[in-house]
Amino acid sequence: MAVYKKTYRPYEGRLTASWSRFLVIRRYAFEDLRRSRFLTVFYLASFLYPLIAALIIWVQHNASALQLLNLNGASRLVPINAGFFMTVLGWQSMLALFLSAFVGPGQVSPDLTNNALSLYLARPFSRAEYVLGKLSVLLILLSLMTWVPGLLLFGLQGYLEGWSWMTDHARIAAGLFFGAWIWILVLALLALSLSAWVKWRPAAGALLFGVFFVGSGFGAAINTVQETQWGSLLNISNLMGTVWVQLFEGNDPTSNGALFFRVSAGGHLPVWCCWAALLILCGICLSMLSRKIRGAEVVR
Amino acid sequence: MNPAWMRQLTGVIALEWKKTFLSRRGWWVYLLALGPVVLTFLHSLIRARNQGGHSLFQDTQIFAGMFELYFLRLGIFFGCLGIFSNLFRGEMLEKTLHYYFLTPMRRELLVVGKYLSGLIVALVLFVASTGLSFWLIGRHQGAAWSEFLQHGAGLSQMIWYMVVAALACVGYGAVFLVAGLFIRNPLIPAAVVMVWENLNPFLPSLLKKFSVIFYLKSLCPVQINVPPPLNVLVTDTDPASAWIAVPGLLVVAMLVLAYAAISARRVEISYGE
Repeated sequence: MAVYKKTYRPYEGRLTASWSRFLVIRRYAFEDLRRSRFLTVFYLASFLYPLIAALIIWVQHNASALQLLNLNGASRLVPINAGFFMTVLGWQSMLALFLSAFVGPGQVSPDLTNNALSLYLARPFSRAEYVLGKLSVLLILLSLMTWVPGLLLFGLQGYLEGWSWMTDHARIAAGLFFGAWIWILVLALLALSLSAWVKWRPAAGALLFGVFFVGSGFGAAINTVQETQWGSLLNISNLMGTVWVQLFEGNDPTSNGALFFRVSAGGHLPVWCCWAALLILCGICLSMLSRKIRGAEVVR
Repeated sequence: MNPAWMRQLTGVIALEWKKTFLSRRGWWVYLLALGPVVLTFLHSLIRARNQGGHSLFQDTQIFAGMFELYFLRLGIFFGCLGIFSNLFRGEMLEKTLHYYFLTPMRRELLVVGKYLSGLIVALVLFVASTGLSFWLIGRHQGAAWSEFLQHGAGLSQMIWYMVVAALACVGYGAVFLVAGLFIRNPLIPAAVVMVWENLNPFLPSLLKKFSVIFYLKSLCPVQINVPPPLNVLVTDTDPASAWIAVPGLLVVAMLVLAYAAISARRVEISYGE
């Protein structure tokens, strides 16, 4: 064909529905992640604790197994209550932090470093869809680690204990679901915003740890030095612990949170303050993303 | 030392310390160092206005807690991670390391020069932050604090805290320089080191000695106990004496640095990977 006949021809193939375009990013991101052997092993290993918890629930409802193991008093040893499920969620959420530190920074920074963002945004694809697509990678991975096994464990306990147990303890299921989603949202937004602002992936990962650990250390230092409890606003694990306790146990809590997510001694804050602090943190992350995710960047 | 080596070393240090000090990437390291100073300044200011609060003894206890839990475990740890792992890895990212490698200079000198420049920055930030924080935490006590500093145990405590902060920079700096030189993602060794260092109080006596924090804690003038309920898991170990801890840390740092310097001879760079 002569060159002059090569004129513009629009794409004539099947278009992806506009509502599901953000899922394209997720598809390619998962392909990338699957290549990392370390991440695959880590992700599979993260299901070990829910498996052990399932075993504990099963053993407690199996009289012959209890007799065989000579553990007739085991039901008193490990009570299956809000604390049990909060511990599962706490452990899984800590693993989710580690996973986000490895997966999150690699989501946005390569696109910004290589000036590839304009290639995305030149297509019928908005900034919000881009962020949603990148978020969905973390949301799906972290959901499968946290509330999905949590609710499966709740279902197993309900199945073995009976329908009445499930209805009596419906608050635990709601706590598992909403508590995990708050943590996932905070973590995913924090990981993406740091990834957008810190272009070196390991540094972004280290900053994620830094925000979590240094924030809690500095918050504790503020509490001690100033004899106040408001330093705990910088302690994300304290904020999550307070919110989880309210979600799992209501307004009359009997515990101080879960593994890694405890309300520290002297760190008691009003629940609405903790919710507000988490929302403000999410808002800051969104505004950081909004400033960086642009089709064109002015370089001075 | 060969005068040419000395000139090259000072040249590398002169180039590097400016880059490290004025790095835009390193803004958060300044925050880590500045945080406690601001906090203790506010403490002093508020207490001076309220005319009351902590006693002199309480202030030294509070500083001991802040030094161990914030400075040693978090501030200096993450600060050194940011400063030292960036010395080589930052140049690889900016694709400028080959300029150094093309100069007629021994690689060992380059490693030592970069380490010393990072160390200068870390020492200036964290040793100064430690000293200032200690000085500020009791300022509201007025003459009693001045007396404690000049004629009591205050000055000795402050100097020991500054020495411990300096040794922490030396130790963690050497570890993170090696991590930045040889490992593409220094976050993985950093996470391993952090978990190991934080587990230290709960490890058996023998394993405790294979960590930096054990020797640093041994040198702290005021000891802080692990609060309940975790204190039941703590294993009691005699602290290392100063004449073992100080040279021990320096020797370990030198060994790690020597390994990095010798290995750097064979380092080849390919930015495409």
